[in-house]
Amino acid sequence: MKLFHALILFLAVCGLARAESTPREVIAKAAAAEDASERMTLIQSLLGRGDADVPVLMDAWRRDQIFLYADAAGTVVPVTLTGEADENDAQSAVRVDNAQPLTGADGKPVRVVADDWDTAEHDARLRRAMKAVVDLIDVGSPDLATRIKAINTVGYSQDAEKLPALIARAEIETDPKAQVALREGIALTRLKSSDRAERLAALGELRELHTLSSTDFLRNALRDAEQAGDKEVAAAAAKAMSAVESHRKTVNFFGTIFRGVSLGSILLVVALGLAITFGLMGVINMAHGEMIAVGAYATYIVQNLFTTGLAISPFGMSIKLPGMGAEGWLRESYFLFALPISFLAAAFVGILLERGIVRFLYRRPLESLLATWGVSLILQQLFRLIFGANNVQVGSPSYLSGNWTINDIIFGWNRVFVIGFAGLIVFGTWLVLTRTPLGLLMRAVMQNRQMAACMGVRTQRVNMMTFAFGSGLAGLAGAFLSQIGNVGPSLGQNYIVDCFMTVVVGGVGNIAGTVFSALGIGLVDQSIQQILLNPVIGKILVLLAIILFLQWRPAGLFATRSRSLD
Amino acid sequence: MTFSDSAVIAGIDFRSRHTWGFIAGAFFLIILFPALNAAGMVSNFTINLWGKYLCYALLALAVDILWGRTGLLSLGQALFFTLGGYMMGMYLMRMIGDLGQYKQPIPDFLVFLGWSKLPWFWEPFDSFQFAFFMILLVPGIVAFVFGYLAFRSRIKGVYFSILTQALTYGAALLFFRNDLLMGGNNGFTDFKFVLGHDVRDAATMRGLFVVTAITLAAVYLLFAWLKGTKFGLVQQAIRDGENRALFSGYATAHYKLFIFVLSAIVASIGGALYTPQVGIINPSEMTPEKSLEAVVWVAVGGRGTLLGPIIGAIAVNALKSWATRAAPDLWLIMMGGMFILVVLFLPGGIVSIPGKIRDGVAILRRPKTPAEAVVA
Amino acid sequence: MSHPILSVEGVNKTYDGFKAITELNFYLFEGELRTVIGPNGAGKSTFFDLISGRAKPDTGKLEFGQNTDLTKLNEYQINRLGVGRKFQAPSVYAEHTVYDNLVLSLNRPRGVFASLFQKLDSYHRDKLDEFLKLIRLDAKRHWKAGLLAHGEKQWLEIGMLLAQEPRLLLVDEPAAGMTDEETHRTGELLLSLAGKHSLIVIEHDMTFVKQIAQNGKVTVLHQGSVLCEGKFDDIQANPKVREVYLGRGKAN
Repeated sequence: MKLFHALILFLAVCGLARAESTPREVIAKAAAAEDASERMTLIQSLLGRGDADVPVLMDAWRRDQIFLYADAAGTVVPVTLTGEADENDAQSAVRVDNAQPLTGADGKPVRVVADDWDTAEHDARLRRAMKAVVDLIDVGSPDLATRIKAINTVGYSQDAEKLPALIARAEIETDPKAQVALREGIALTRLKSSDRAERLAALGELRELHTLSSTDFLRNALRDAEQAGDKEVAAAAAKAMSAVESHRKTVNFFGTIFRGVSLGSILLVVALGLAITFGLMGVINMAHGEMIAVGAYATYIVQNLFTTGLAISPFGMSIKLPGMGAEGWLRESYFLFALPISFLAAAFVGILLERGIVRFLYRRPLESLLATWGVSLILQQLFRLIFGANNVQVGSPSYLSGNWTINDIIFGWNRVFVIGFAGLIVFGTWLVLTRTPLGLLMRAVMQNRQMAACMGVRTQRVNMMTFAFGSGLAGLAGAFLSQIGNVGPSLGQNYIVDCFMTVVVGGVGNIAGTVFSALGIGLVDQSIQQILLNPVIGKILVLLAIILFLQWRPAGLFATRSRSLD
Repeated sequence: MTFSDSAVIAGIDFRSRHTWGFIAGAFFLIILFPALNAAGMVSNFTINLWGKYLCYALLALAVDILWGRTGLLSLGQALFFTLGGYMMGMYLMRMIGDLGQYKQPIPDFLVFLGWSKLPWFWEPFDSFQFAFFMILLVPGIVAFVFGYLAFRSRIKGVYFSILTQALTYGAALLFFRNDLLMGGNNGFTDFKFVLGHDVRDAATMRGLFVVTAITLAAVYLLFAWLKGTKFGLVQQAIRDGENRALFSGYATAHYKLFIFVLSAIVASIGGALYTPQVGIINPSEMTPEKSLEAVVWVAVGGRGTLLGPIIGAIAVNALKSWATRAAPDLWLIMMGGMFILVVLFLPGGIVSIPGKIRDGVAILRRPKTPAEAVVA
Repeated sequence: MSHPILSVEGVNKTYDGFKAITELNFYLFEGELRTVIGPNGAGKSTFFDLISGRAKPDTGKLEFGQNTDLTKLNEYQINRLGVGRKFQAPSVYAEHTVYDNLVLSLNRPRGVFASLFQKLDSYHRDKLDEFLKLIRLDAKRHWKAGLLAHGEKQWLEIGMLLAQEPRLLLVDEPAAGMTDEETHRTGELLLSLAGKHSLIVIEHDMTFVKQIAQNGKVTVLHQGSVLCEGKFDDIQANPKVREVYLGRGKAN
């Protein structure tokens, strides 16, 4: 009899709810309802529907902030209270059903004292139901990211009660990504179904979808099926799992390649300048790392000139550089201005270094190593004295955060930037070396200094320009590193070993070799990391691998062989 | 002094000023200086500081026998120095017993990492003899394996420098890790006893200083003897023309390997003596920069000589001790500048200055061709 | 003249696509003095590089004596077998004294540990004195080798070669930079060595070649292989040689 009564009520309520009552009205009705099961039914009718108000109201309900105001006629009107309490402790009241201020018969706002009224009742079951409703609201969110996130949350909860909402959404969903998420969510939920056929179907669906996120659920399903001794389900679960695993392998593989290429690109950018000064000229420039830092600090200065200005205090002096206070796109574009400036700054330092020291040591490579190390110490200390011992902040433009996800493989924009930048800089270097008169002279002098001198080439000048060009490339690398990491006095030191390794492995005197070796080292490094999940051990193994590699090819990847002796 | 000189007995020429200079120097360092300390005329601080300098002098000799005499610029000698320091450090850590912060029978950092039992490779370091053996063996083996690979594939010149730099860098990364169980970042410190003596005791300090001075004198004699043998000739031949030496039938790779291992062991002994005197050893000593610093000492003192590296190590470090107090901001600039100046203008280092002055005076007095000088 | 001391069969060597040696066949018999001539780029120095282990052939056989495969050995091993080489550019240890240059070249154990404890005995001292007289550098024995004149360095290097007591001597342009008198004396010396030693001499100076090739054979290398072989007079008369070599000489 009671059941019958409830059924009637349920149908009635459903009818009412369907009759386009807003979620607010339903909540108001539920709050006012006397009977717990009626409240329950009403709240559950909101599953899969709702708007932004619902979570607020439900939260208020949960926290006993919905008051059951009864008007003169005795009609219960649920309200929430807002605003400051006046001297009578009364506050202004807002009706739950239509969000309008509560008015009396005269149409004037009624102020309500909280303590005078009962609050809407709730128990544990109801609170769970309300949470389910809130969870499902986002499933219908117009924002795709929010929607997918909510679909996933609901799906992972494997709650059969929420299944209808997912199904309902799936019918009207148009976005393919959300469709996949919905299919996954539905299948995951059905994994818990008591119907064996449904579970099997769900496993089939999951195998087809092979989403990475379903792994744990599949593992549980497999375990449950094995415990229950259900071989068919277990086999289906195992199949689905292997589909997911093979997908995971693909994703990891391409992810590793992508990360490897991007790490290789970093190596390439930092080592390219060295491939010129060490590779072509044979100068062991231990200050190469500091040339990189010069470029990074130049970028730092340019950035500050674009914004708030810069105050530095080298040697007790105080220098204030005014800023332009640029905003918007101009501020974001400072990097484009920083690039040529960092190139020129490092090239200038390079010219000083070449004229002052390196030119006396062309025939004494070990001595040039030592003298340039002295320069490296001095420059590092100068950075400390001018910019302070701590890292300085170089903000990277907003367009570098974010990523594309294609088929579960994450392509971070910063990494894409890294690869693109490396490609550009290599192309530029190639152009300079092969398509400009300077490049022609450089290659001539590097191949045969005496011959070039006899042909009337001013080798001194070409040496200087070549060294400046290599240093300038290091400066560009600094500008680039400032976008993806910290800028500090020892920035260069962190890269110097990698730089030399890259050039040596590539084969000294061969720019193409440097390109391949940088990418190769990047890929090996990332692959080892993928296997070992430990960057430091990975780095050590890479160093060992390089030493062993040189056993096999002492002259590097692309040895420049020549018939001349010694 | 050539191989054929009959006045040379076991590499020592008793008519030479150098010999008497050596005897005077050894007497000063081994006997006079410690005696003055015992009498209170030289402070404990000074003798400790000089003990450190002498350890650096050992490192400098190790760099010089490679770079100055064989032409191999290794940026890995700081690694061997530190390895020796670590081997000694392991023994010293065991000698702390349960007097550490945690009052446990194992080193504090192990307790901190959650160990309750000593890892197996720590066990034998209770014995000084074992530690001593390891001080010779571990760097020796590392140098042997690395040198074998490098010299076999004929990696030389700057490539050798770059590879040793990478080796040192990789090793430092390894030692910075806690799970190597070698103290991680902080390394070893808070030593209490060495061979039963309190390390902070003035007498212990003096004893360590004397041991260091004797070791330095012994290494000096060893290297002086080497220089006088045919080995010394081959070594120099490798430096000046390695290919030619190959065509004279010398397996230059074997010679280089021998020198590399010997140098690593000498550096390691220096490091082993350094640890108890300085009271700390950690991975920051193990960087390519530290190796380069040792190269600076040799360059400043005078490469290819025996006295130069010792003078350089002491002079540069004394300057450093002074400068890091007087002008800490400028020290690195001074060192860098000094290095550039020495490379460009004084390739012979400090020890070449008297000769230059003598030559200058001689030229002023009577112009003389080099050929005449040699015949005379 | 039973078995060749050196057999080179079907040897090829390419550098970056450049064929330095092509299908080279060459035999040298015990005690023979062979002169090798050829225009620049004929592969003469590469030929020596291959024998002395400085370079490895791409294909082909290089045998020393009865059955020692030279392609498997490196420079110092080949040297210890008794193959000595004098380089085209004088290559002495510039920072060592003349005396020490010879000491380093003596045919004695050359291992690391041997060198640590080796002493000069009176036998070797006498030998060194003998060599010093032969190369006429006795008075300059304590000079640094780097201070010697070009011709003197050549002589020193010949002395170093003799000190090694090699079975086979590879001599690359020994007369370069010598006076006519010295050149002649060098020729005499080489001739006196033939019989006891086997020699291959590369030379450009035709007067010198005529002097040393009076009894032996001359091999003409052209584009990495043997153009012809025979007596000096026959070679000189050979039209093919005239074309590639002497013809060029005429044009100059």
